[in-house]
Amino acid sequence: MLYPKTTEEVREMILAARHSGGGLVPVSSGPPHFHGASVNPNAETLDLSRMDRVMAIDRRSRYVRVEAGVTFGDLLPQLAAHGLRLNLPFLPRPSKSAVASALEREAVLMPKYQYDYPDPLLTVETVFGTGDVFRTGSAAGPGTMEENTSDKVIPWGPGPFDYYRFLGAAQGTIGVVTWATLKAEVAPSASRLFFIGSASPDPLLDLAGKLLLDRVPDECVLLDRTAFSMAFAEPGQEDALRAALAPWTLLCRVCGYERYPEERVDIYGGYVADACAAFGLTAETEPPFPVDPAQIERMLTDCDRRDTYWKLRRGDERELLTLVPPSAAPAVLAEMSASQPDAGFIVSPQVQGRAFRIECGLYFEPDPRQAEKAEETLFSLAGRLVPLGAYFDRPYGRLPELLYSDPLARGAMKRLKSIFDPDNVLNPGKLCF
Amino acid sequence: MSLPKAVYEELEKVVGSRNISDKEYVLAGNRAQTPEIPVRHRSADAIVLPGSTEEVAEIVRICRRHGVRYVGTVSGGIPTAYATEENTILIHFKRMNRILEINEKDRYAVVEPGVRHVQLYPEVRKRGLSYTAAAVGPGGSVLVNIACTGGDHHNQYGSSRPTRYLLGVEMVTPEGEILRTGSLEAGAGWFCPESAGPSLRGIVKGYSGNAGHIGIVTKCAIALDRCKGPAATRTEGVSPHSRIYMDDECSRVYVFNYSSIQDVGRAMLALGESEVGATVQKYFYLPLSLMMTSSANEFWEKWDGFRKAFPMPLVVHLAPHSVREREYEEKILFDVVRETGGVRLPRELERWWEEHMDYFMIVSRLQSVLRLGGSWLPIKTGGESVRHLCDIGDSIREFIHDFTDTGKIFDAPQNYQIIPMEYGHFASFELLFMWDRTDPNSFRYMQEFCAASRETDLKHHAHSMTAGGYGRAGEALGRLYCDCHLWAGRIRHSFDPDFDPDA
Ligand SMILES: Cc1cc2nc3c(=O)[nH]c(=O)nc-3n(C[C@H](O)[C@H](O)[C@H](O)COP(=O)(O)OP(=O)(O)OC[C@H]3O[C@@H](n4cnc5c(N)ncnc54)[C@H](O)[C@@H]3O)c2cc1C
Repeated sequence: MLYPKTTEEVREMILAARHSGGGLVPVSSGPPHFHGASVNPNAETLDLSRMDRVMAIDRRSRYVRVEAGVTFGDLLPQLAAHGLRLNLPFLPRPSKSAVASALEREAVLMPKYQYDYPDPLLTVETVFGTGDVFRTGSAAGPGTMEENTSDKVIPWGPGPFDYYRFLGAAQGTIGVVTWATLKAEVAPSASRLFFIGSASPDPLLDLAGKLLLDRVPDECVLLDRTAFSMAFAEPGQEDALRAALAPWTLLCRVCGYERYPEERVDIYGGYVADACAAFGLTAETEPPFPVDPAQIERMLTDCDRRDTYWKLRRGDERELLTLVPPSAAPAVLAEMSASQPDAGFIVSPQVQGRAFRIECGLYFEPDPRQAEKAEETLFSLAGRLVPLGAYFDRPYGRLPELLYSDPLARGAMKRLKSIFDPDNVLNPGKLCF
Repeated sequence: MSLPKAVYEELEKVVGSRNISDKEYVLAGNRAQTPEIPVRHRSADAIVLPGSTEEVAEIVRICRRHGVRYVGTVSGGIPTAYATEENTILIHFKRMNRILEINEKDRYAVVEPGVRHVQLYPEVRKRGLSYTAAAVGPGGSVLVNIACTGGDHHNQYGSSRPTRYLLGVEMVTPEGEILRTGSLEAGAGWFCPESAGPSLRGIVKGYSGNAGHIGIVTKCAIALDRCKGPAATRTEGVSPHSRIYMDDECSRVYVFNYSSIQDVGRAMLALGESEVGATVQKYFYLPLSLMMTSSANEFWEKWDGFRKAFPMPLVVHLAPHSVREREYEEKILFDVVRETGGVRLPRELERWWEEHMDYFMIVSRLQSVLRLGGSWLPIKTGGESVRHLCDIGDSIREFIHDFTDTGKIFDAPQNYQIIPMEYGHFASFELLFMWDRTDPNSFRYMQEFCAASRETDLKHHAHSMTAGGYGRAGEALGRLYCDCHLWAGRIRHSFDPDFDPDA
């Protein structure tokens, strides 16, 4: 294990690996690790957890710049102190690196702030597999980081290429990202959380689409009752909560900001109620099941600070992540839930509601055979989802076997790899490399 | 020089004799139509009109085999859409002009390069949807605008730059191969731009487009948003003597003048934090004045009054969902304007914006800037935080008066725009200047002005623009931007082995 503290050290380690012919796999988050992207028997681990500086929090231009090792657990309270928040994934673990989450294109909870799939990732500094240090977007220049007087927030470029897109979801195969600038949003001054239950996910998918087209909710996420109870029940109360829940619940939160916040919440709450009525659904603020709505609202805007991370309540978990357009979501979800009735499902609308990220989690007691079986089950499920329109844009584990059928696209990725990591130092053997 | 007969015949076999020509009168009609830009353009040696991606691929392969250069073109809005060297053919996409799909459920449209804004925009608007249409005007190609060039648009405050809306892409590489990016490459449709792994979307477009250097884009999907403002508008008259009626209680335009760009910036940020408004822009007052008049004589009559009335106009379009929300937004807007020192324009001026709301929906009249008969050029076409761009706006006075006060360029020192996007997370900048092209020294003045602007930015280490250029050719700026010219040269070379990054 290598523990660099500075970009210069990362550079030296990469150059040394190039020289010796070794491999390196960058890791930014603390354990537990879920997807196996950072497990590589052919590479030494480059653990970035010591690169844990919060470099800038800017309230005026609404961004934060952090090194790769900064975790949600550490960052969120600091942002809150500046009246800011992040576009978070659903209840992440506190040890999750904020930079890695954005780089991996994890599902965000507030699709109205997401204009493009890499959003909220803005600019990054990276050390390519060549050992060269590079900064993307407006962080590139003019001049050094210290000289450049901009806020370094424009993600695109420099020039005619989007370098940050080469790094996203690349599982560390192109460059080691040492810091990133992330978009931050104003923390609301007032809010109202709605619980909208349904026997089927389909009307809730349509409702989410309509609300997001009109840019109504801040947080918006659909959970099945297993995921809901695993995430929110008090210890030992999962079954009781699960039994009281509708099969599917859409959590939808409207907010007001610094000026006339209550008025905005009233107006936007009215839009939620109107849209629900049009779909024959009911939006409730006091849900008819045993949870504290205020507690849920707090959890939606934070990481999971309880002793046991919610996905590990039964001891272990394996998950399948896919991305689908709205038209494919009902069929993909139907196949997933028919095939895995005991799984937990999180359906996160993304990019203004133009797609859904679906997470199917299998929770079980720690047992290597069970884990292997779960992996096998999910892989075979993934194969059945492809013809239904599921896209695996974050291909962990064996998923690359289902992708890269287009030799030209695969060849183009390899051309990029050979430019940025010609000696295949970074996470060798992953993806199509 | 004309194309060798054998090459002409090979191309003719691909597209058919009706779709290729080297006749002088045809070529003359496809020479640069931008006399205001002092770059010499020659005729292309031939022009071909492909009808499909496969035909484009074959054309590219033939050109490569015979060492013939090619340039793609649609409306020819910018000089790079024309031949500049010998031994070049134009590939014109006027036959590839189909809207292949408008998917309301998944909110995207798939288009070929020849589809113009005037074709697509009304179709999506009918469906209550909208997209980011830049100021090039109704004749500009949707695909080229979003996938291959610029750019920013004037109502991106409540949305984002067009580049955020580019989804799946199909392109023909310089080697004549058909490459598909994003979910398309995995057979999962058009909806997602990103690859599974290092995203090939990154080679299609960065801050700027690569204008065909990495491939001719033959199809792309663009994302659609909700249409803000009235779905249908009543119009009267014919441009430039036209007006529209905004019969909608939920649509209002307000225009304020400011005396300090920092105050404009504060207003933009405060509105953005409250997510108030569909469009917010600090527009350039010279093109505005041109658009507000319908002849050069009228312009000269009114310019002096306009330049005093709105040298720094903040234009705000509110397009909420309900009257109650409009009142809520108006309350915040007027609070913000009061706190930041804005002064509302007199009604007789403000009414112009109301009557030309099409200008917010799809800017269609910027070409009017040409009417003065002069030359014009946009510089500092970069993006950054509102804060940084206001500082850049402030710094313009350090050099511009040497040019405006001496008549070297048109006397409009505040003629720059700042258009916020994503509710003020960042913004785009553009300093547009005009000059008299009949003055024999004008070309030199223009160059001096650009140099002074660049020097001022470098003195402040301001990010007023991105750094383009591949390989050695991009060195001057690229070395200040993490040597991006070297990386860009390598990427281009890896897709176009004939390109020499060291040249
Ligand atoms: C008055 C005016 C105002 C403008 N305002 C804006 C603005 O506000 N925002 C903005 O973004 N832009 C603006 N532009 C520039 C505009 O972006 C481009 O002119 C436009 O996008 C290109 O569309 P076009 O049909 O004119 O393409 P063309 O001018 O025909 O082509 C533009 C470039 O793209 C290349 N190209 C053409 N087809 C293809 C293809 N299929 N694949 C790859 N490359 C191709 C051409 O070779 C050329 O280099 C403006 C231009 C004008 C003249």
